[in-house]
Amino acid sequence: MLNKKRTIDELLKEWMHDEELKQNILHWQTLEGQEAKFAPFPENLHPSIQKALKVRGISQLYTHQREAFDFATNNQSFTAVTPTASGKSLCYHLPVLQKILEDPSSRAIYLFPTKALAQDQKADLNDLIELMGEEVLSYTYDGDTAPGIRQKIRKAGHIIMTNPDMLHSGILPHHTKWVSLFENLKYIVIDELHTYKGVFGSHVAHVIRRLKRICEFYGSNPIFICTSATIKNPKELAESLTNTKHELIANSGAPVGKKTFLFYNPPIVHPTFGVRRSSILEVRDLATRLYEAGIQSIVFAKSRVRVEMLVTYLKSLTKKKIQDESIRGYRGGYLPTERRAIEKGLRNGDIQIVVSTNALELGVDIGQLQACIMTGYPGNIASAWQQAGRAGRRQDSALIIYVANSTALDQYVVNNPNYLLGSSPEEALINPENILILMDHLKCAAFELPFATTDSYGEFEIQQLLEFLEEEGVVIKTSSQWYWMSERFPAHEISLRSASQENVVIIDQSIPAGTKVIGEMDTYSAMTLLHEEAIYLHQGTQFQVEKLDWEEKKAYVREVDVDYFTDANLAVELKVLNEDKRVDYESASVSYGDISLLAIPTIFKKIRFQTHENIGSGKIHIPPLEMHTNATWMSFELPENWSEEMLTDALTGAAYAIGSFIPLFIQCDRNDLSVVPQVKAVHNDKPTLFIYDSYPGGIGLSERVYDILQPILEQTIEHVKQCPCNSGCPSCIGAQDSLNESKGKVLKVLSILLREMM
Amino acid sequence: MSYENKMMQLKQMLGKKQEKKVEKPSFTKPDKPWYVDEWKKEGLEVIENDFGMLFKRQVEYPQDYMHGSYQLKMFFEAIEKWQTSAIEHPFSIDYDETVVFFDTETTGLKGVGTNIFLLGFLEVLENKFLLTQYVLADPSHEAAFLFESKLWQRSKTIITYNGKSFDWPQLETRWTLNQQILPKLKNMRQIDLLHSTKRIWKNNLERMKLTQVEETKLGFKRNGDIPGFLAPIIYTDAVKSGNASSLMKVLTHNEWDLLSLITLYIHSTNLLLESHSQDTATTYTNIGKWYGDLKITEQSETVLRTVTNTFHDQDVGLAHFYLAVQQKKQKEYDEATKSFQKALMTIGNKEKLKALEHLAIIYEHQYKDYSKAFDYTLKGIEMIQNNDSKARKLLDWTKRLNRLKNKMEREINN
Repeated sequence: MLNKKRTIDELLKEWMHDEELKQNILHWQTLEGQEAKFAPFPENLHPSIQKALKVRGISQLYTHQREAFDFATNNQSFTAVTPTASGKSLCYHLPVLQKILEDPSSRAIYLFPTKALAQDQKADLNDLIELMGEEVLSYTYDGDTAPGIRQKIRKAGHIIMTNPDMLHSGILPHHTKWVSLFENLKYIVIDELHTYKGVFGSHVAHVIRRLKRICEFYGSNPIFICTSATIKNPKELAESLTNTKHELIANSGAPVGKKTFLFYNPPIVHPTFGVRRSSILEVRDLATRLYEAGIQSIVFAKSRVRVEMLVTYLKSLTKKKIQDESIRGYRGGYLPTERRAIEKGLRNGDIQIVVSTNALELGVDIGQLQACIMTGYPGNIASAWQQAGRAGRRQDSALIIYVANSTALDQYVVNNPNYLLGSSPEEALINPENILILMDHLKCAAFELPFATTDSYGEFEIQQLLEFLEEEGVVIKTSSQWYWMSERFPAHEISLRSASQENVVIIDQSIPAGTKVIGEMDTYSAMTLLHEEAIYLHQGTQFQVEKLDWEEKKAYVREVDVDYFTDANLAVELKVLNEDKRVDYESASVSYGDISLLAIPTIFKKIRFQTHENIGSGKIHIPPLEMHTNATWMSFELPENWSEEMLTDALTGAAYAIGSFIPLFIQCDRNDLSVVPQVKAVHNDKPTLFIYDSYPGGIGLSERVYDILQPILEQTIEHVKQCPCNSGCPSCIGAQDSLNESKGKVLKVLSILLREMM
Repeated sequence: MSYENKMMQLKQMLGKKQEKKVEKPSFTKPDKPWYVDEWKKEGLEVIENDFGMLFKRQVEYPQDYMHGSYQLKMFFEAIEKWQTSAIEHPFSIDYDETVVFFDTETTGLKGVGTNIFLLGFLEVLENKFLLTQYVLADPSHEAAFLFESKLWQRSKTIITYNGKSFDWPQLETRWTLNQQILPKLKNMRQIDLLHSTKRIWKNNLERMKLTQVEETKLGFKRNGDIPGFLAPIIYTDAVKSGNASSLMKVLTHNEWDLLSLITLYIHSTNLLLESHSQDTATTYTNIGKWYGDLKITEQSETVLRTVTNTFHDQDVGLAHFYLAVQQKKQKEYDEATKSFQKALMTIGNKEKLKALEHLAIIYEHQYKDYSKAFDYTLKGIEMIQNNDSKARKLLDWTKRLNRLKNKMEREINN
C-alpha cells in the first residue's frame, strides 16, 4: 500500500493515469481561483476598530464588507450573500461595533440558528473587541447561560448573541426585563439566513414580527443585517422573514482558491436492471485513498444512518492503531460536548477524516479542509456549494468529489455537471401565512403586548383571528383593546423546530447500573429509525432498540454487534378536505388544497452490510400519526385496457420520478415534500398523484408546485426518456422487480398529463 | 431674548422631536366596563382618576383585633422589642418607618402576559390598621389601578411573603409596560417573611405555605377559603360574566394573607428575641444558626446555650455543634472540644463528619495530641467508608492519617 503524504495536485496527477478510477469519473472540471477585490476602510471607521483589524493583518476591506458598512451607515437593511470563509462576520461586526463606539447606549441582537454557532462567533467577536481595547460587552444568552449573570446581560450587554428559540420563549415573553435592549436596539443580525426555510423559517418569521412589535412599543426601529449562503432568492427570503425592505449585496470580494470538481458515477453492476454499485462503498474507497495520501477531508452523507455506516467502514483503516481518533462521525443527535471535541480535533488536525450529515454545512468553525466528498447530491445547489466550500485552504487547491447515488436526481446531476456548476441555485421558501403557525404566534404576541382593535400584526389583518382567540377563552376584549387573559404561557407550548413537538430520548442500557442518555430524535424520524428491533448507529457503534416507550417518548437501546442495518417503511392514507384551486383539462384535472393524512409505519427490513441483501423483516408497532397539510394533486382517467395492477406500477414509478425532480426547482429537502400515488383516490375514485407538504399546515411548497407543475413534468419526462436503462431503474422510475413495461407506462401517464396541460 | 438664543432653543426642541420620532398619541381614557354596577353591588367602591377607573375595598381593624393567637397591636410591641434589643437584624424595624404589608393576586405565574388584578395593602396607622384592596377593573384600566396604589409617591417598608421573587418583580413588569404614562415606581425596603420562615422552621415545617404556617404556628384556621391557584380563573370569569361574587372570596383570601403576615411578623419576632421557649429545639437551633450566619455572635451563643440548657439531650446535638463551631472560631478550644464531643452523640452524618474533622484539627494543631487526633481521623474514615460516594473525601482523610503517623513516629524518635 502506498502511504506517502501528497498534495491535492500531486494526487490528481496520479489519478489522471489511474485507468480504473478514470472510467468512473464522468467529468473533471477545474474552476480557477479568483483574486481578492478590495476597498479602503471607510474614513469614519473608528480608530480602535482600525487598530484591531490591523493587528489581525487587515489593512483594507473586501468590497462586500465595505458595501455592507455603507448600507448600515445609511440605515438601510441589507442581505449579503457570502460564500464560506469570505470574512462575512465583518459585514455585521463593523457597523455594529462602530455604532456602539459612537453611542455606548446602542444595542444589537445577533441571531444564529443554533446555540453552537453563537458560542463560536462569541469567541471570534470577543477576540476582536479585546484587540480594540474598548469596553464593549457581548454575551451569549441561551439555555446554558448561568442564572447569576443573566441580569447583567439584560441591563448592560451591548451585543446579545442568541438563537430564535431563546428569543421566542426566553426573551420576548419577558421583554420588560430587557428595557435597555429594546429601547436602544439598533441592529438585528441574522446569520445563516438560508437556514430559515420551511417550517422553521416560517416560525422564525413570526418571532421576528413579534420582536419588531416590541421594538415599536419601546420606540426603537432596528436595521436588519442578514448574511446568507448562495440561494436563488436571498433578498426575497430576507424580506419575507423580516417583513422589511432589503438591499442585496450579491458579489463577494473575497479571494477564491482553485477548486477541482470530479463527477464520479459508480459502475453499473447489473446492466439489465440498471443497478449501480453502492455509492457508499465507492465513497469508502475514495476516502481511503485520501486518507492514505494524508489529505484532511470531510465526507458528507445525507442521512444519519449513512454517516454511521461510513464511519464503521472507515474505522477499519485505523483498527490496528490503539486509541486512534483520526476518523470520526459528526451529526445531530450527538451530545454537545462530543461535538465540541470533534470540532476542535478538526481544527488542530488530530482528526483527518470526518463523516458528517449537513450539520457541518453551517458555519461551525472547523477551519478549512483539503478535500470534500459528497455521498450523493445533497438535494440542492445551495447545499452542494456550502459543502464544497468546506474544502479549500487559502493558497492550496481544493478537491471536491461528487459521488452519485442511483436516484434520478443524482444521475441527472452527474450527467449534467453544468447544472451544479453553472446554473443558479434553488429558492428557499417560507410560509408565514401557515395558519397554524400564525395562530401560535398570534397568541404569543397577544401575551407580550395587547392588540388595539385597530391593530394589524406584521402584514396580517388579525381582528377576526383575535375574535377566534376570544372564543377559545385566552383573550378578552375591552372597549379598545384585546388582552391576553389566561394562566397559560403560550411560548412554552410552541416549538420552532418541528411540527411534532416532542423528541424521543435515546437511552443506552447496555450497563444496567449505568444507563445514560446518548442522543435524541424527532418523533417523525423516530417512527422509522427507533422502532423496536431497529438497529440504531451512534458513532459507529451499533445499538438495538429493545423497547420503545412511545407514550413517554423514550427508546431503550443496548449495544450489539450484528452485520446488518434496518430500513423501515411508512404507509399513508390521504383525504381531501378542501379544494382551493382547480384547473380542468380534457380528462385530467390539477388541484391544490387542504388534505388530511394518516402516516402508518408498516414493516422494517434487515439489510446486510457490504452486500446490502435483505435478510429478514418485521412489523412495526407504533400508532399512526395524523396530520393536516396542503397538497397539489393530479387526477386523470384510467387509460383504456389498463388493469389496476398496471396502473399501480405506472403511478408508483411516476411518483418516484416526479418526487426526485422537485428539488431541482424548489429548495427543500427531499423529505419536505412527499409524492404519493392513489389508484382510486377517496374523494373522486380516480387515479391520482398527491404532492403534499410533509408538515402540519403546510409550508408553501406544494402550492409552489401547483404553479410550476408543467416544467416539472417536462423535466421528468425528458429524464426518464434519456435514462439508458431498458425498463426502469433506480435512476429514473425506481427499481423494478420484473421486466415489465413500467417505463413506457410511466411515460404514458406523465405524457397524458403534460399533453393536456400544454 | 436674543435672536440667536431663541434659535438655539428652537433647535433643541427640534432635536428632541426627531429623537422620539413617532409621537405617542396622548393617552385616552378607556371606557368603563359594562359591569361596574354589578361589581358595586358586591361591596366594591368605584374610584376614578386621570387614567381610568378601578375598584376599591377598605376595612379598618381596631388595635385589639384578634387574628389567630395574636392581637394586631402586638406589632407595636414587636417593633419595641427590636429597638430595645439593639440587634442589627435584617428584620428589625425602626419607629419612624412607614410599614405596609403587601400581597398581590395575579392571572398567571410569569411573563408579560400575566396581569396583577389585586393589590392588597395593610397599613399600620397610629391607632388602627387599614386594609386597602385595589381591584383591576379590566386590563385596559391598568394605569389607573397602578397609579392609585401610590407606590410612586414615597418610599415605605414593604413586608411580603415571597414578594422579593414574585410580587415585586411582577409589579415592576406592569410598571414598565405603563412607563410612558406613570411616574416612576419608588425603590422600597423589602422584608420577605418567606425568608425568615424558611430559616426559622427548616426541618420543622414540611411545607412553607402560608396557610400551613398559620395553622401550626399562628393559631389561625381559614374557613371557606378559596385556594390561591383558582384566583386567575375567578378573576377572568368575573370580567367575562360581570359577576363578582366569587371574586369577593379572592379578596377575603388576600385579606387573610395580609392579616397573617402581621401576626407572622409578631410571632417570628418573639421567637427571635424572647428567651422563654415556645417552640421546639430544632426551631431555636435554626434561630441560633441564623444569628451565627449573620455574624451576630453573642445572640447566637445565647440562643444556642438556651437550647442546650432547656431541652432534652437527644434534641440538642445540633445546637452543641453550631456552638462548637463558633467557639472554635473564637479560639475557645476547650469549650469547643467539649461541645463537639457532646454533639457527636446525636447529630446527623454530615455534621458528624465535620465535627470529627474539627476535633482532629484541634487535637493535632492546638493540643499536639496526635494520638487523639489519630483516633478521630480513623473514626472519620470509618464513616466515609460506610458511605461509598465519598471516595474523594476519603483521600483527604487518609492523607491526614498518614501525616499523623509520621508525626507520631518523629515524636517517639525524639
